[in-house]
Amino acid sequence: MAAVAVHQFAQCITCHAWSPDHSMVAFCPNNNEVHIYKLVNDKWEKVHVLQKHDQIVSGIDWSGKSNRIVSVSHDRNSYVWNREGPEWVPTLVILRLNRAALCVRWSPKENKFAVGSGAKTVCVCYYEQENNWWVSKVIRKKHDSSVTSVAWHPNNILLATTSTDGKCRVFSTFIKGVDTRESKTGSSSDPKFGEQIVQLDLSSSWAFGVKWSPSGNTLAYVGHNSMIYFVDDIGPSPLAQNVAFCNLPLRDVLFVSEKMVIGVGFDCNPMVFAADKSGLWSFIRFLGEKKESLSGPKSGSQFSEAFGKLYAQAKHGLSNDTVEPSKIQGAVHDNCINCIALLNKKGSQTKRFSTSGMDGKVVIWDLGNQQDLKEYL
Amino acid sequence: MASTLRLYLTCIRNTLEAAMCLQNFPCQEVERHNKPEVELKTSPELLLNPVLICRNEAEKCLIETSINSLRISLKVKQADELENILAKKFLRFLSMRAEAFQVLRRKPVQGYDISFLITNYHCEELQKQKLIDFIVQFMEMHSLKYFRRT
Repeated sequence: MAAVAVHQFAQCITCHAWSPDHSMVAFCPNNNEVHIYKLVNDKWEKVHVLQKHDQIVSGIDWSGKSNRIVSVSHDRNSYVWNREGPEWVPTLVILRLNRAALCVRWSPKENKFAVGSGAKTVCVCYYEQENNWWVSKVIRKKHDSSVTSVAWHPNNILLATTSTDGKCRVFSTFIKGVDTRESKTGSSSDPKFGEQIVQLDLSSSWAFGVKWSPSGNTLAYVGHNSMIYFVDDIGPSPLAQNVAFCNLPLRDVLFVSEKMVIGVGFDCNPMVFAADKSGLWSFIRFLGEKKESLSGPKSGSQFSEAFGKLYAQAKHGLSNDTVEPSKIQGAVHDNCINCIALLNKKGSQTKRFSTSGMDGKVVIWDLGNQQDLKEYL
Repeated sequence: MASTLRLYLTCIRNTLEAAMCLQNFPCQEVERHNKPEVELKTSPELLLNPVLICRNEAEKCLIETSINSLRISLKVKQADELENILAKKFLRFLSMRAEAFQVLRRKPVQGYDISFLITNYHCEELQKQKLIDFIVQFMEMHSLKYFRRT
């Protein structure tokens, strides 16, 4: 069984992020707060509640080295939270957005972070030491619709974005004073901020969940038309592969290694995609157990019975300060999975990641005991 | 007769399973707002192609999807004038109490008898499979002429 731990934290989780040592998890329980839970003696305890936003928090990222949390919300604001003693202290970020912020990611060097927004812009924020605040530079007029997802290339300069106009774009986010220009790099370095390197128009529907592979050679993103796209050689002539699958669309992807990608989405089950020796990507299998599809409607049912079926949903117990880790059940997630995060301990061989979804569960998966997938790791 | 009903309902069920992939999406037009995009139709890129499933000329189902909401409009068969009046009265009775049903729309879409509006909030609170079951059983109930006088 690939799922090693299942925790029910709330009724619905928008997004989640792990602390650098993986002992704490920060998530948004579908409201305007960020809850931080810590694993204490095999029980999850709520240790902090970060309350500064007015509307739902749509993106959270926890930086690995500098231990800072950045949160963005539909109220057009973003805060960077610094740990000072026992408390988390917020610092306002001047985003200059006039629509909701949808996603956020720290850059690999953690000196910048990027925010995708419903204003069809991407804000790249960096810290200004003199004024002790975070300032943003905005990439405008390059997207035709809301920016749903952003991903940083390992070189800290290139940023990939996906949008509801179906396109995936790669930009340069070189900022003078923050980034150092490498004189050795050849013609591939485009130091101007906001310059579009490549625009990928592969999907006929909305694009979500873009990620770079660990080396930065491959880019993967999903389209709402139940396809996942893998692109190599980002540059003047990229090499793209379209993989179609006959299931419900995906929402997010994660590279667990150079050759393996996990996709999560409306099927409530993580999907494994892998590249064979020749570099050809394909769908391998589902990670969890497949849910049985419901049988057809029963004839002659009373109207009140149908009514009762609709309202017989178990509303999960919520707002517990301590949550017992529950035993693994059959089908793990009950509702759409919308966030996936890597959980590797440094130096460890086993590949672990976590998923959170609209059912309010955070599930930790381990690929260590999946024998057929070992060759791709 | 019954077999075409089965096919019709299976088709609708499969379409709904694909269409009910909704997510929270803030309004692009007005700041701090969150509206069902299928009703507003202000951003054409956020709408998907509507699907019309017809059983015959008199019975059809229109499914319109967007990124955060889904609208299902049904036209039920009315054989004669009396049935027309009965259906209208019954569906109006239901629609006026739309708040109790949560997913029902107060007014049907132009050209149809009853409409449902399902948003991402419904998908968060209620299970998708049960929602689809509800819609399909609703249609089945009508097709079985539950309220028919014969």
